[in-house]
Amino acid sequence: MRWTGKIRFLFLAPAVIWVLAFTVFPLGYSLYLAFYKIEQKVEVKREKQPMLDAAGQPVLDDAGQPRTKNVVIKEQVNTATFIGLDNFKRMLTDTQVHEAVRVTLTFVLIAVPLELVLGFLLAVLFNQHIFGRPILRAFMILPIFATPLAVGYTFFTIFYEVGGPLAWTGIPFLSNPTWALMSVIIVDVWQWTPFCFLVFLAALQGVPDELYEAARVDGANAWDMLKEVMLPLLIPTIVIVLLLRMAEALKLFDIPFALTGGGPGVATQPFSMLAFRTGLRFFDLGYASAMSYAFLAVIMIVITLFFRRLRANYG
Amino acid sequence: MADRAPGSRNGWGEVTASLVAVTVALLFAFPIYWAFSQSLRNPIDTYTVAGLGVPWINFTPTLDNWIDQLGTPETVKALYNSTIVSVSAALLALVLGTPAAYAIARFRFERWKNRDITVWFLSQRILPPVATVIPFYLTMRYLGLLDTKFALVLINATFVLPYVVVILRQTFLDLPVEIEEAALIDGAGHFGAFWRVALPLAAPSMAAAGLIIFALTWNEFLFAVAIGSSDAIMVPVHIAGAIDTRGVQFWFMGVRAMTAIIPPLIIALIAQRYIVRGLTLGAVRG
Repeated sequence: MRWTGKIRFLFLAPAVIWVLAFTVFPLGYSLYLAFYKIEQKVEVKREKQPMLDAAGQPVLDDAGQPRTKNVVIKEQVNTATFIGLDNFKRMLTDTQVHEAVRVTLTFVLIAVPLELVLGFLLAVLFNQHIFGRPILRAFMILPIFATPLAVGYTFFTIFYEVGGPLAWTGIPFLSNPTWALMSVIIVDVWQWTPFCFLVFLAALQGVPDELYEAARVDGANAWDMLKEVMLPLLIPTIVIVLLLRMAEALKLFDIPFALTGGGPGVATQPFSMLAFRTGLRFFDLGYASAMSYAFLAVIMIVITLFFRRLRANYG
Repeated sequence: MADRAPGSRNGWGEVTASLVAVTVALLFAFPIYWAFSQSLRNPIDTYTVAGLGVPWINFTPTLDNWIDQLGTPETVKALYNSTIVSVSAALLALVLGTPAAYAIARFRFERWKNRDITVWFLSQRILPPVATVIPFYLTMRYLGLLDTKFALVLINATFVLPYVVVILRQTFLDLPVEIEEAALIDGAGHFGAFWRVALPLAAPSMAAAGLIIFALTWNEFLFAVAIGSSDAIMVPVHIAGAIDTRGVQFWFMGVRAMTAIIPPLIIALIAQRYIVRGLTLGAVRG
């Protein structure tokens, strides 16, 4: 059924070359950086330069000599020193790294299961005969596409401890380290439960009516129906959503950036925020690259699991 | 939709389920509503508003914040930049990704099988972006492209490319191959069959994919904040920057959050049918 012919490579080539250029090349480059200590220094030099007037002509002094002025030249100098595995070793003893790993793992291990369970329960609820379902379903889609950074700031105003709408609870949503992490989790659950819900609802609606009928005839009650009919049929979908959410949740960045700024202290600073700051705020580029690679190695495990599952879908 | 669920034959069950569903939907809509409510408040009403902050009931609404923010050149620039970058990245990704999707759907690849190629495109999407942000930043600095919309188009087109490949691959698979074969027999050639037969039929899917990837670029923050600080400032970066310089002004924050959120929300509602397939990278058919 499927065609062959050389032209197939012509169709495919632009996209492949593009991804090689903008994903594979940067990854190679950052692997190289991971073995170096990159230092950026600003060298300050003073130089005498001829003074120019508005027309660009040299200004002459009384003796007819060109006047000079002192100019300060700042030059950025990068030095790269090969240090082997030192960047990776440094991570092992860096408490900031340990803390970021703890934050990221806590986040993923609480938020993702919560999103799946809530999403599943909501899908079961919405799978029933409900008034105005299309409109309610549309409401539920909104969080998925809301700009995460804007969402973070909006929740910042909601969690605001002085005069915010939840201030009456007296909960230190943002100032207490444990609560701050919970707040990040709440926002993520708000944003991504609807995604799990939507996918599960689509899967549930694909379950043929006959199965429910058959179970009903066999005298199954609502709980049996959930456990014996819906859950088993949804297992493949659940696994895909789980892996997809895990891969995404490990990248956590936008929400804590807006909501807590990683704080208080570093209590909500996930790994990607630490790597970002190390690289592009403190310009410790080699160390940040090593961090990224360590991160990549962990995520590869998830990816491998994910693709083993996913490959079957593209047969 | 047929009545397919357990326990829903009984009228009271239906009412209870509906009430719970309405409550849940309102709960999920609340934060967006709250941002909107804040955008309509006078600064003096910010902390004193009672109840659910309903305009006209709990406070007298004003459009001043909207007029003030939308009249600020920085806001206009951010909205303009985000629009240009998101449209360009979506178009570029469609131009690159659609032929690739067609190749995977219609041709047989041997050394690397078709599914391997699809998965290779996908793997790029699962990668943590923070792993590529530093080398990309350095490359753009070397090329003198820091703080340009061009650099943001390049990187965002790369990020959304897998979505195009996966969504359109499925679209082409769903199209009847016979029409293209007829065109081939008429001597159209593979490119003609693609361009004149398959592409027009795939147009609705391309539009939906285009909308979804527009929203993804619009919402992207990590690269936007790394690459674009002033000339190429994007909406999320503008929001973050405004907090730093102007402090927490909830009334303006409401406006800024709404201007960021509204365009992708409209898209989400238009492209509803494609969201499940799109966001699960084609793994689940919605």
